[in-house]
Amino acid sequence: MTGTVVGPERPSAVTARDLARATATRQRRGARFKIWAGALCTALVVLPVALAGLLPLPDANAQDLSQRRLPPLSGGHLFGTDQLGRDLLSRILHGGQVSLSVGVLAVLVSGLIGMAAGAAAGFFGGWVDALVSRFLEAQLALPLLMMLLLVVALFGPSITVITCVIAVAQWPEVARLTRSLVLVEREKPYVAAARVLGLRGWTVLARHVVPNVVRPVSLVVLLLIAQAVLLESALSFLGAGPQRPFATWGRIISDGQAYITTSWWLVTLPGLVIALLVVGVNLLGDGLRDRTRRRKGARA
Amino acid sequence: MTPTSPSAPPDRPPHESLTRRTLLRWSALGGAGLALGPLSACAGPTGAPGPGTLTLGLNRSLVSLDNKLNQFDAAVTVQRAVRQALTRIGPGMKPQLVLADRFTMSGPTAWSVRLREGVCYSDGSPVTVEDVATALTMYGKVNGSFILSLFPELPTVEKTGERTFTLHTKRPVPGLDGLMASIHITPAAANRPEELQSGVGSGPYQVARANSGAGEYTLARNPRYWGRAPHVDTVRVRFVPEESSRVIALRSGELDVVDTLTPDSAEQLTGLPGVALQETSGTRICQLFYNFRKKNPHPLADARVRRALSLAVDGGSLIRDVLTGSAEEARGVVPLALEGAVRTGEFAYDPGRARARLKALGADGLRIRIIWETGEFAADSSVMEAVADMFRDIGVRATLLEFEPGGDILKWRQGRGGDWDVIGNGFPGPTGQALTSLQGMYGGTPEKERTRDTYMGYVVPDVQRKLADAATETDDATRERKLAAVQHDIWDTWPMLWAFAPKTLLARRDRVHDLGLLKLNSYDLSAVRLEG
Amino acid sequence: MPTYLLRRVGQSLLAIFLTLTTVFLLVRLAPGDPAAAYAAPTASSAELDRIRAQFGLDEPLINQYGIFLRDLFTGNLGTSYSFHAPAFDVVMDRMPYTITLAVAAITVTTVVAVPLGVWMARRADTKRELGANVLTITGQSMPDFWTGVMLLTLFAVLLPVLPASGFTTWSGLVLPTVTVAVLQLALVSRLVRREMVTALAAPYTTIARSRGVSERALTWSYGLRNSAVPLVTALGTRFAALLNGVVVVEVVFGWPGVGSLVVRALATRDYPLIQATVLVTATLAILVQLLVDLAYPLLDPRVRLGKAA
Repeated sequence: MTGTVVGPERPSAVTARDLARATATRQRRGARFKIWAGALCTALVVLPVALAGLLPLPDANAQDLSQRRLPPLSGGHLFGTDQLGRDLLSRILHGGQVSLSVGVLAVLVSGLIGMAAGAAAGFFGGWVDALVSRFLEAQLALPLLMMLLLVVALFGPSITVITCVIAVAQWPEVARLTRSLVLVEREKPYVAAARVLGLRGWTVLARHVVPNVVRPVSLVVLLLIAQAVLLESALSFLGAGPQRPFATWGRIISDGQAYITTSWWLVTLPGLVIALLVVGVNLLGDGLRDRTRRRKGARA
Repeated sequence: MTPTSPSAPPDRPPHESLTRRTLLRWSALGGAGLALGPLSACAGPTGAPGPGTLTLGLNRSLVSLDNKLNQFDAAVTVQRAVRQALTRIGPGMKPQLVLADRFTMSGPTAWSVRLREGVCYSDGSPVTVEDVATALTMYGKVNGSFILSLFPELPTVEKTGERTFTLHTKRPVPGLDGLMASIHITPAAANRPEELQSGVGSGPYQVARANSGAGEYTLARNPRYWGRAPHVDTVRVRFVPEESSRVIALRSGELDVVDTLTPDSAEQLTGLPGVALQETSGTRICQLFYNFRKKNPHPLADARVRRALSLAVDGGSLIRDVLTGSAEEARGVVPLALEGAVRTGEFAYDPGRARARLKALGADGLRIRIIWETGEFAADSSVMEAVADMFRDIGVRATLLEFEPGGDILKWRQGRGGDWDVIGNGFPGPTGQALTSLQGMYGGTPEKERTRDTYMGYVVPDVQRKLADAATETDDATRERKLAAVQHDIWDTWPMLWAFAPKTLLARRDRVHDLGLLKLNSYDLSAVRLEG
Repeated sequence: MPTYLLRRVGQSLLAIFLTLTTVFLLVRLAPGDPAAAYAAPTASSAELDRIRAQFGLDEPLINQYGIFLRDLFTGNLGTSYSFHAPAFDVVMDRMPYTITLAVAAITVTTVVAVPLGVWMARRADTKRELGANVLTITGQSMPDFWTGVMLLTLFAVLLPVLPASGFTTWSGLVLPTVTVAVLQLALVSRLVRREMVTALAAPYTTIARSRGVSERALTWSYGLRNSAVPLVTALGTRFAALLNGVVVVEVVFGWPGVGSLVVRALATRDYPLIQATVLVTATLAILVQLLVDLAYPLLDPRVRLGKAA
C-alpha cells in the first residue's frame, strides 16, 4: 500500500488526489494532528507552570481575606481567588510545579526500575523471570490506591515519598512491556553474534538489546507521566499531599469542593488545567506511537 | 456467537459446544445476579422521601444506636429517639425528667430518684430499677468511653422500692441529674459492656431496619410508647460523608435535615427556596491552644509572650471571612453558652503592638509550629493557613503540620511525637455545664502530667485546686461564684492563641416544622412535624 | 489442565498471602494508634493501654503475626474496632455495592466501547474517527474525582435530576457508573478498533465476503468474535481493578462500597478491617483474573491452557 513511489519521470495512474486519500497519508495526517494538538495542549500548561516565577502574578500564598472567592476576571485575578483570597491562577501554576515535578521524577524512577527488571526478566529468563513476573502479578492484585495511602501515612507526605510511591505504582507497566520486547530481541541473530564474540550476558543486554527497546519503552513512559500526574492529584485529593500551605492540584480541587454550589471556578479551573495537560501528553504519546508503528510497518 | 464462526474447528464434538455455551450463559447470569444483589436493600424509585418520612443526613456514621462509645453531638438526636435516659438536657441547659419523674438531691452525696409510672420498652416490658443499675455498671466497664470521662465518679444504685432508688456518690457531684442524661437505659438482661448493636429501648421510635455498616437506619413509631406518640411516621437516617453532597442533597429535597453544617455550607444554603437555616450558639470551643510543656527559657513559657502573639490574630476577620459569621469569638475560657460560663476578656487585634511587645520581651524572630488534625473543626485548614499568614505580618515564621485522621496527633499532643507550639483543637461541652469543660481542659495535676494525661500540658496547681473546690460545692450560688473566679484566673494564664465557639447550624426543608434545635446540637425527634 | 489450574491457584494463594503479610506489617509500622482512634479524646494513658491490650496490640509484633496467621487459617479475620463486628462480615456487607458499581461500569463500558471501536475500525483514519479518538482520550485524561464533582454539579445542582450521594435508589448508580466508565472507554474502544482492523483485513474475512456473507455478519460474528480473547482480557483486568475499590469515585459519591470503607478503616487505624478488606478484594481480583484465563479456551478453542506459546 505504501510502496507506490511516484518518480517525476515515470508516468503513473496514481494521481495526487489518490495519494491524498490513501490510508497511509490519512494515518500520517492523523498522527501529525495528534502530535501537534498534543504538543499544543501540553505547552499551554507546561510553559506557564515552568515560568510561574517570572510571570507578573501575586504570590501563591498571599492572602487577602477581604478579596475571597472573587469570580474569574475580576479584581485583577484572571482565574479569580480562592476561599482565602489567594490568586487562583498563581496557585494552580505553583501547584503545577509540584505536581509536574513529582510526575516527571516518578516516571523517570519507574522507567529505570521497570526497564532494568523487565530487561533482566526477559533476557535471562529462569528464576529472574519467575521472580519479576510474580511481583508483577502480586502488584496487580493489590488495592493500589490504598497501599499508596498507607505508605504515605507510614513515611510522611513529603514530595520524595510521594514520588517514590508513584514510581513503585507504575514500574510494572514498563517492566511488562520491556520484558515482552526483550523476549523478541534476544532471539535475533545479532544477539547470538554478540555471544559468539564472547560478550557476557550483561554486556549484551546493556550494549545491544536495551538500546533497541528504549524507543518504544520511552513512549510508554511518556504516557505514564500523564498517569503519574493523575495519581498525584488523586492522592492529594484524598489528603495525602505535601504539607500546607503548599498548593497541589488535587488539594485545590478538594478544598474547592466545599464551595461547589457557589464558586464553580475553584473546582472547575484546576480540573481543566489537569485535563488539558493530560490530554496533551496522551495525544502526543499516541501520535508518536502511531508514527513509529507506521514507520516500522514501512520498514518491514 | 453464530454457529458458523470460522474459528470453530469443524470436528468439535457437540457436547463441548454445549458446555461452552452453557458456561458463557451461566457466567452472564451470575454477573447479572451479583449486580442485582443489593437491589433488595434499596428503597423507593426516587431519591426524595415520601410524605410521612423524615430523612436525616448525618456526616458521621452511626455504627449503632448505643452511645457507650459512639458519641458525637448529632448522634444524640437519633439515639435518644430509640433509647432514653432518666433525664435529658432541655432548653437553657436545664435537666428535664424523662424516665424518672423525680430526681432530687437528698443529701450532699445522695440523690433520690423515682421511675415514672408505666414506662416500658417497645416490647412491652417495664423499665425497672435493675435496668438502671445494670446500665451504670456496663458504662463503667467500657474502655475509652467519652461518657465515662464526663463523670467525676459513677454513682451506685440503692434500691428503695419498686420504682424508687437512691444514687450514691463518694463525693458531692452537684450536676448528677444532668450527667445521667447520657446513661441510656436498656433491659438489664440484654445490656453488655460494649456497644449494643440491637435490642429494644423505651423511646418513641423503634428500629425498623438497620444497616450499621453503611450507617443507615429506618425508624418507625413505637406503638407501645409510654408517652405521647411522635408526629412523624418514619424517620430515615442516612450517612452522607461528603459535606458538599449533603448540601446538594438538601437542595434537591433528597434529605430533609442536615445538621452540624460547616459555615461554608450554611452560606451556600442561605436564601435558597424551600430551605430554612437554624442556628444557636454552640457549646463546643475550638481553640488554638499553646503548648504548655514549653519550659522556662522558651519564650512561650511566658504568659506575656503568649498574650502578645494573640494580638497578631485578626479574629474579627477570621470570624467574618473564613467562618462566614457562623461562630462567635471566645470571650471566656469556655463557650458562654455553657451553664456557669462567664465573660473574662476579649481577644484584641493590633499587629503593631504585637511586634513591639515581642521585641520588648526579647521574643522577636520566633518560630511557631501549628499542628492539627484534618476535620478537627469546620474550616480548620483555612483558619490555620490564615493565622500563619497573619503571623508573617508580625515577623513570626509559622509552619503548619496537618495530621490525617488516624495519624499520630495524640502522640504529638502528649509531647512524645515532636516539637510544636500551637495546636488546633476542639473541646465539646456535651453536658452543658461549664464545669465539665473547665475540668477537662484546665484540671491537670502533676500526677496526671506524669502519664501525659493533661490537656496540652496545662498544669496550674492553683487553678486545679480552685476547680476541684468548686466541683464539690453543693450550694448553687457559692459554686457559681467560685467558678466565675477561677475562670478569670485561667484567662490570665493566657492558654489560647485564639479561640471561637462555632454556632450550631442546621438546615432543613420547609416542610419540617417544630424542630427545637438545642445548643447541645441535638433536638427532640418526637416533637418534629412534617407538612405536606 | 488440572495441573495448570493447581499451579495457578497455588501461585494465587502465595500472592494473597504475601500481600496480606505486607499489609499486616505496613499498618502496624505506620504512625497512628488504633486505641487513640477508638477511644474518646479525653481517654487517659492507662485507659489507652487497656484498649491496646483488649485489641491484642500490647504483644510483640511477631506474636501478633503468629496470632494473625493462626486466626487466618481458622477463618477468623478478627473483630473490627470501629464497627464492633467481625471484620469479614463488615467487608461482605459492603461488597455488593462495589460489585454492583463494578458490574455496571464494565457493562456500560462494553456496551459503549465495543460498538464505538467497531465503528472506528470501519471508518479507520477518517476525520470522524480521529474526532472520536480524541474524545475518548479526553475522557481518559480527566481526573476521576474531578469528573465526579463536575457531573455532580451538572446533574445534582444545576439540573437536579439525580441523587448526589449514596445508593438508596437506582438512579444513584448513574453518576458513579458514568464517571468510572468514561475513564475506560478510550482503552477498550482502541483495543477493539485495533483488533477489528486486523480481523477485517484477514484472509478469512475476504473469503467470507466473497462467499456473500453480509457486512453485518462479517463485523459482528467474524471480526468481533476473533477479537474476543484480547477484549475479554482487557475487560477482565479492568473489572478486577474495579473490585479492588474505586476509592476516589466511592468517596466523591458517598458510595457505601469497600473503597470508602478502606478510607475509613485507614482513618481509624482499624487493623482487622484493613486486613479483611485486602484479603477479600485481592482474592476476588485474582479470582476474576483466573476466570478470564479459564475462559480463553471457551472463547477460542485453539488456546490450550498450560501450554504456553
